[in-house]
Amino acid sequence: MAFGLPLLTPFAARAMDPELTSDTAAQFYDVRSPTGETTLSRRRLTTMLGLSAYDLLKAPPGDPKAPDMSLRVRLRYDADFGAPSSVTDPSAPTAATSFVPGFSQGLVDVMYAYLEGRRFLKGWLGFRLGRQYVVDALGWWSFDGGEVSLTTPYFVKAEVYGGLEQRGGMPLSTSRFEADGIWTGNRQGLDRSLYTSFQPVSLGPALGAAIESTGVTWIHGRLTYRRVYNTGDSNVSEYASGVVTPAIYNGLRIGSDRLGYAMDASWSSVGGAKGGIVYDFYRSEVTHAYGSIDAYLGQKVTLSADYDYYVPSYDGDSIFNFFAGEPTNDAGLRANVDVSRNLSIAGGAQVRIFDVQTAQFAPGGAGPYSPSSNYSMAATYFPTNGHPFDKGGYLHARWRTGETQIALRGAGDVGDEGQRVGGDLSAEHVFETHYVVSGRAGVWQWQDLLRPDRDATTVNYVAAVGYRFGPRSQAMVDWEHDINRLVGQRFRLMLLLTLATK
Amino acid sequence: MTTLRSFSRAFVLLPIVAVLLVVPMALAEAPRTLHGLAPLANDQEVPLKLLPPGAFDPDEGPSDVIFPPQQITVRFNHAKHLAKMVGATCKTCHGAAYRSASAADTLLPKGAVCDACHSTDHEDIAKVKPGDEDMGQCAFCHLGYKAKDGNAVAQVQIPRPNLLFNHKAHADRNIGCPQCHGAVDELELATRDQLPRMRGCFHCHQMSDAASQGDAKSECDTCHLKGDQGTGIKTMFASGTLSPPRWLHNSEHTPDFIERHKTVAADDSTYCANCHKSDFCTDCHDGRVRPRSVHPSDYLNMHAIEARMATQKCTSCHREQSFCLDCHMRVGVSESSPTADRDSGRFHPPKSVWSDPPRKPGHHAFEAERNLNACVSCHIERDCVACHGAQGIGAGFDPHQNGFVGGCAMELRRNPRPCFVCHEKTDPVLGKCQ
Repeated sequence: MAFGLPLLTPFAARAMDPELTSDTAAQFYDVRSPTGETTLSRRRLTTMLGLSAYDLLKAPPGDPKAPDMSLRVRLRYDADFGAPSSVTDPSAPTAATSFVPGFSQGLVDVMYAYLEGRRFLKGWLGFRLGRQYVVDALGWWSFDGGEVSLTTPYFVKAEVYGGLEQRGGMPLSTSRFEADGIWTGNRQGLDRSLYTSFQPVSLGPALGAAIESTGVTWIHGRLTYRRVYNTGDSNVSEYASGVVTPAIYNGLRIGSDRLGYAMDASWSSVGGAKGGIVYDFYRSEVTHAYGSIDAYLGQKVTLSADYDYYVPSYDGDSIFNFFAGEPTNDAGLRANVDVSRNLSIAGGAQVRIFDVQTAQFAPGGAGPYSPSSNYSMAATYFPTNGHPFDKGGYLHARWRTGETQIALRGAGDVGDEGQRVGGDLSAEHVFETHYVVSGRAGVWQWQDLLRPDRDATTVNYVAAVGYRFGPRSQAMVDWEHDINRLVGQRFRLMLLLTLATK
Repeated sequence: MTTLRSFSRAFVLLPIVAVLLVVPMALAEAPRTLHGLAPLANDQEVPLKLLPPGAFDPDEGPSDVIFPPQQITVRFNHAKHLAKMVGATCKTCHGAAYRSASAADTLLPKGAVCDACHSTDHEDIAKVKPGDEDMGQCAFCHLGYKAKDGNAVAQVQIPRPNLLFNHKAHADRNIGCPQCHGAVDELELATRDQLPRMRGCFHCHQMSDAASQGDAKSECDTCHLKGDQGTGIKTMFASGTLSPPRWLHNSEHTPDFIERHKTVAADDSTYCANCHKSDFCTDCHDGRVRPRSVHPSDYLNMHAIEARMATQKCTSCHREQSFCLDCHMRVGVSESSPTADRDSGRFHPPKSVWSDPPRKPGHHAFEAERNLNACVSCHIERDCVACHGAQGIGAGFDPHQNGFVGGCAMELRRNPRPCFVCHEKTDPVLGKCQ
């Protein structure tokens, strides 16, 4: 915003295309424990306000070469009125036994606020200034700063960006975009010796660059690099209790440092392929790789095969990077049939293969672990199968016309840890362009094999009615009722209001 | 004798049967070939080589959304008019196309164009005079015309295409009509089937946004109408909703697209942004209202099963040490829950399986190996350090992988903070990493 406003001023007198949107959801529900007590009572209000101005340069309509500039802002208010003060206020009388550090931080956040320019310098230059998202092989990420891109005539586009990672505990920010593994937030009002695992939020300087292909539509690739630093104080004493001053580490250090590449290619009468890989420099290993192949059998049938390799990775400050997290390997087959212009059916089956330790450690050998001297070999039974696997499948079907959509979604997953099987049938119909009626009914059965007492069958339904004021404005009332043996009956009432100026 | 009699009867009956069969056939009207009512006579299927470039075999025609259904109420034979005998060219009737800069322009010829050959007079459209010959009669071209209708004929209705298109710019570059419309000169009536296919546009439109590559850019808003919802292009029309074709980035929005859209977005998120605003993505990826398209009803109760199996899908939308941990702490299922709420043992198996020796399947070590993210959704580092720290209760149940010491110098140099959580700065073990 701060970057954007001064730049906006010169264009304020020009004609532009403004837009104002508002999305509000009020939710009312209770979460109950298996024994029936209400453990969480939610009275939540979420409102998002969007302010945008497009075509700030008033480009001639239909001119593909004209520079274009727009401003986009979205604010969010997300308040949980069900939280007692003992949970949110460290000075409350019962806070010692109920306070949850970090809870209720970030009531108001700026989801994004940026000024975007495209096709300047005869199409070469593009930019974004402000809080913005970056979506690529490295995931869904947000930062405050600037991005500049150069689009060359040689089918290559280069991009550099830098700024501060959006982090929870900072003003008008959420923690959604930080690397995982660190419990972070605003420690204001907390004694340094209390909740030492709750790390004080600090600035996260970030920089990145990307090169991607452009223009050609049948093949595309993007190579992307991003580094985020951690700064400021960090508690490293886990058991300081006020008797001992907690040890603090302070220094510029790596938060995350990754290189990613994603591509796709398609041959319109044959099929296509996609692939991607992420290398984590901090962990010095590939943490994600995937590939898929689609084969077009005629005009209506697509057969596909997928593979996905994944190893969890965390913020550089997190000790979880040092724990043995083995990769998962997902392999699957899927198919889609476009039965008609209105009806499509898609289904697939996959296996998830886990790697786990299967051999004893032999000093100097190639065993996967190096247990310390207090590690009792005799007390360890190693599984004979190092690659246990889960299996699953799904079947989705959708029939839709301009006013009606009916969808079926069924899925099943079965593995050593548990299983989940069920399906939903949903429908929505718009009467006379204004009146919306929708419903959903589902049955799901699940079983937790590590906790055999926690298995249940859920029967649920949703009924909603609404009125559509315009193409993008509507009010809805949504009622959800879930029934299962563990918590009995659960209800959720939602009131939704969406408004847009056009 | 009997055989001879039977043969005689058959000999007499045969001519009668023949007459009964042949005479009605001869009297029946020979099948009439209908011309000018479809691209090919008698509405035969148009072979691929005559269709616009980019058509498939079999072809379902161009997009209904881009080119809404038309009502063509005239009979016309392009092949006949473009034949040498008549000598017309595309420009003879569609001269306006060579000057048109907008897809909204009407490019059909006026009736007066026909007058010279058909002896008609369309000068005053309110008082059209038919010609003397058969081909000058109103009904010769205007379908459904009856003399009692007088001057009234059914209107040709061709809705404006939901597209940007500059005919002049293309014509000026010597891009001939067949390059977009196919071999109309070999067809009779031109219908929607002779309108361009998007795949055909990409034969030329493969250029980037930058200068010096001409105008054949592949950006969506080069051809598609500008969106009025803050998106690059407009997707909602009275004729339907635009959706990408299967062959473009393999991104057909099939019923299971939500399961695989990440591969499209990871490669080219600006492609998605042509139709979807950031809000569309944030509703799920940074949302505060559970999207039922992702999580079914009562997911709150059953989400633990999915978390047990593997949580990489969860982490695409949720940060575990804030979204998950916050809630788990508050409802008391986390080790770090406030003491007033803590109700341990609601997720893990009994201690004899979960943490006591011997380690066997179901032990937390193996569960962590296969799905460490699930641990992170409930546990803070203190919970682990209690046993895995160099000092403390467990006094060093080493969590590092084999060979860790060989590469730990780089990790220590880049970020020593996690090392110090378990190892004091004076810990001699750290010396192995320096």
